[in-house]
Amino acid sequence: MGILLLEQPLNAAAAHAEFLVEHGHHGAVAAFTGVVRSESGGVDYLYLDWYPGMTEASIRAIADAAKARFDIREVAVLHRCGRVEAGEPVVFVAAASEHRRAAFEAVDYMMDRLKSEAALWKREVGDGVDRWVEPRGEDAVSLKRWS
Amino acid sequence: MAKVEVLFFGRMADVAGARRKTCDAVRLLTLRESFFGADVAAVRMSVNQVQVFADQALNDGDEVAFFSVFSGG
Repeated sequence: MGILLLEQPLNAAAAHAEFLVEHGHHGAVAAFTGVVRSESGGVDYLYLDWYPGMTEASIRAIADAAKARFDIREVAVLHRCGRVEAGEPVVFVAAASEHRRAAFEAVDYMMDRLKSEAALWKREVGDGVDRWVEPRGEDAVSLKRWS
Repeated sequence: MAKVEVLFFGRMADVAGARRKTCDAVRLLTLRESFFGADVAAVRMSVNQVQVFADQALNDGDEVAFFSVFSGG
């Protein structure tokens, strides 16, 4: 499974099941799925702009850093790009380890870095809304937890 | 004259009014100024998919990109 950037819908349940089959034997699997919020109906979809090659490399660097930092055996990062409707999964991250804490922490770490460092540009589109999303201060605060 | 491919992502694609252009291989900051003038505080740059932070010469066939700060997933 590894690292995948997907222009098509992401089936998080299938990804989780596949990851469990392939890596569950390690004993601990943690997974996270991020879903596009409608922001009380104001957002119809996100458009995630991406730079083919650079975007995958930025995600791979984060996954590699997690493998180097935590006692984990395998990770998966499946990230959407292009148009993602409200209610659809936008990211799936999983880690397999022999120990639950390492798996939890690796997923938490990868998500914090993905939110700030993945080479993606996010646009919110909806009822009277069409804007590029600027990096959020709270994401920078989350990232500092790991420095 | 030597040419470079210039790509634009995120908000900078809107500012430049383009996603891709072929341009003469002038110096990097000269190229940036041609699209964004002096309003460059929010413009990030890469050459051949490696982010750069200073001026440099460009070579024939280089791929340059201008983009806004990553907003993550």
